[in-house]
Amino acid sequence: MTDSYRADFQILEGDALIYFDNACQTLRPKQVLSAMNEYYEQYPACGGRSMHRLAARVSQQVDQARARIARFIDARDKKEIVFTRNTTEGINLVAHSLGLRAGDVVITSDKEHNSNLIPWQVLQQKLGIKHVIVATDQDGLLDLEAYQHALTQGVALVSMGYVSNLDGVAQPVERIIQLAHAAGAKVLLDGAQAVPHHKLSVTQLDVDFLAFSGHKMLGPSGIGVLYGKSQLLAELEPFLVGGDTVAFSTYTSHEFLAAPEKFEAGLQDYAGIIGLGAAVAYLEQVGFDAIVARELELNQFLTKELTTIKGLHLIGPQDPSLRSGIISFYVDGKDHHKIALMLDEVAGICVRSGQHCVHSWFHDRRLAGSVRASVYFYNTLAEAEVFVTQLRKVLSVL
Amino acid sequence: MFCLLAFIVLGVISVFNAAYRDLAKEAYDCVFRRITLRPCNTGFKEKMQAKLVGKMLSKSVWAARILNKNFELFSWILFLSTILSIFWAGKGLYNFYMYGSCNGLNQTGFCALDPTGENNKISAAGASCGGGSGDESVVTLEGVDLSLFPTKQIGAADTVVMIGCFACEYTRKAYPLVKQLLAEHEANFVFAHYPVKEGMMDLLDMEYCAEQQNPDLYWQLIDRLLTMDVAALTDVAQIDGVLTELGYDVAALRACEADPQTTVGVTARRIELEKTNIYGTPLIFINEKGLVGPKPYRVYERML
Repeated sequence: MTDSYRADFQILEGDALIYFDNACQTLRPKQVLSAMNEYYEQYPACGGRSMHRLAARVSQQVDQARARIARFIDARDKKEIVFTRNTTEGINLVAHSLGLRAGDVVITSDKEHNSNLIPWQVLQQKLGIKHVIVATDQDGLLDLEAYQHALTQGVALVSMGYVSNLDGVAQPVERIIQLAHAAGAKVLLDGAQAVPHHKLSVTQLDVDFLAFSGHKMLGPSGIGVLYGKSQLLAELEPFLVGGDTVAFSTYTSHEFLAAPEKFEAGLQDYAGIIGLGAAVAYLEQVGFDAIVARELELNQFLTKELTTIKGLHLIGPQDPSLRSGIISFYVDGKDHHKIALMLDEVAGICVRSGQHCVHSWFHDRRLAGSVRASVYFYNTLAEAEVFVTQLRKVLSVL
Repeated sequence: MFCLLAFIVLGVISVFNAAYRDLAKEAYDCVFRRITLRPCNTGFKEKMQAKLVGKMLSKSVWAARILNKNFELFSWILFLSTILSIFWAGKGLYNFYMYGSCNGLNQTGFCALDPTGENNKISAAGASCGGGSGDESVVTLEGVDLSLFPTKQIGAADTVVMIGCFACEYTRKAYPLVKQLLAEHEANFVFAHYPVKEGMMDLLDMEYCAEQQNPDLYWQLIDRLLTMDVAALTDVAQIDGVLTELGYDVAALRACEADPQTTVGVTARRIELEKTNIYGTPLIFINEKGLVGPKPYRVYERML
């Protein structure tokens, strides 16, 4: 099983730490760190600009990473992979480059991460676009009827979280995309919580844009990806402009390069890109079957145990198979931050507490926040047992 | 209340350890918001409470539960304790600066700034040199006839009275400071030998007669007696040598010592000194304020 991979994560040596905050960011295996170190130690140069041997090696490695990532999400062409800083930047790139105008409708769900909420609020204020929020039901799934109704308003873009960082619920994106395309809308998926956890094919989904982050999939922080269909990327205006985005310039004019270069302004995070390439290679080696199986095993155990705790409420569906590796909960009368802090203090258990950048959802339901435990393939059943034991202990005190 | 307590404690700690400065700033922010009648929304208290209760939980579930349930009460108790501690620490610092003792004038209790009690050590009256005990609050010059004692009268407004024993190490420690004080400030000076060390009774008659014989040379004599080797004080030959060196007529002194009137004079001085309620040396009065034991120079200077 996946236990053998724990040895690749130095921080997991010994029993001092139980890392259950993988939805925020995952740990990095030594292979990723080695790949990044190798860049800094052996060929720390600029890719694409200089002609010397080091620069050539950088360009080659970046190109390989791009190609590997394209294969990983089943993109048709590596040129459909644009490197960004993270998912947020990918979403902002689309938001500001798509050429939205006053009156254009953008649809999101009611439990989007701030990264997929604020950009549309800002465009609503600045450009006068219309931001329509479609509700989700008790199980966290999009109300498809309401969605279909919203699509009749002349929608330009549907921007939707694939898997929610709040409750781990995956939206029926195939159907969402079909309906959107039928209505003439484009679809941007926030894949931050989806890409690291299960096999995804942008070609099969026929999604127009997909944004995701490296730090949630074993990669370095500060590197992310925006996938876009070639034709659409060609139509988009660059979001950031400057060095490496143009083929030629005069004092008064310029000629942009083709995608993806026209979107990758300035010196790139080469180490990050190479590290992300190594992370993808590592994930391919582990395999999504094993990842999904381990996450399900842990989530089933945690759900079974936690639902026996009096006053504890799970956010999202009770069925763990619908919640990926996320268990988000709150306990009547207990402060979520205190629970998280005490778990850390007592047993070195790292979980997230608060509103998980989904303030709007909590605000709407008048909930203060929740504790979120999120597991990944390197977590074990023994860790989950410790978590449950310590949680009970903490709750008995609070 | 916890924020205020934390701010005080962390503020002090962060002076010495930068690692606590961020926490101190957080606590300050919380206190500031409270003072300005706004809710403390920094989560600082919750964070610290969780950490403290969490630490306790590792030791005892029962104790952690008590701490968590009564956190505000414990905060109040600690806050009041802290305020009292700060008050007493401040008072101790003030006393140490003013009197050389954290506990106040002539108080001999433990003082962290003078852990060995050097500023209050005395040679006890009626015993060999060592720590004496008595009531510091009752030492006084009231009713004491200072005219019986050798006086360097310069017509100054201030008067320093030093009662010491030539062989007492604490008198000897204070003497240079008194000398410095007299050199730097105008003050009348009265000296009285009060023997507390073995063999020092023998010098009573001698110093009495020396003052009678030559009052001017007397001040040089006591300077020599308070600075020479202690062992030499009981050696008659060496004492005679000093007297001769200073220009005293040793034979006349011997005759004076044998005179019954000397005993009367010495006894009269002794009676006057007992009125001060002396219980050890040095006892120094500066403008009638009594200081028992050798104090830092600043204490003497402040009293002028």
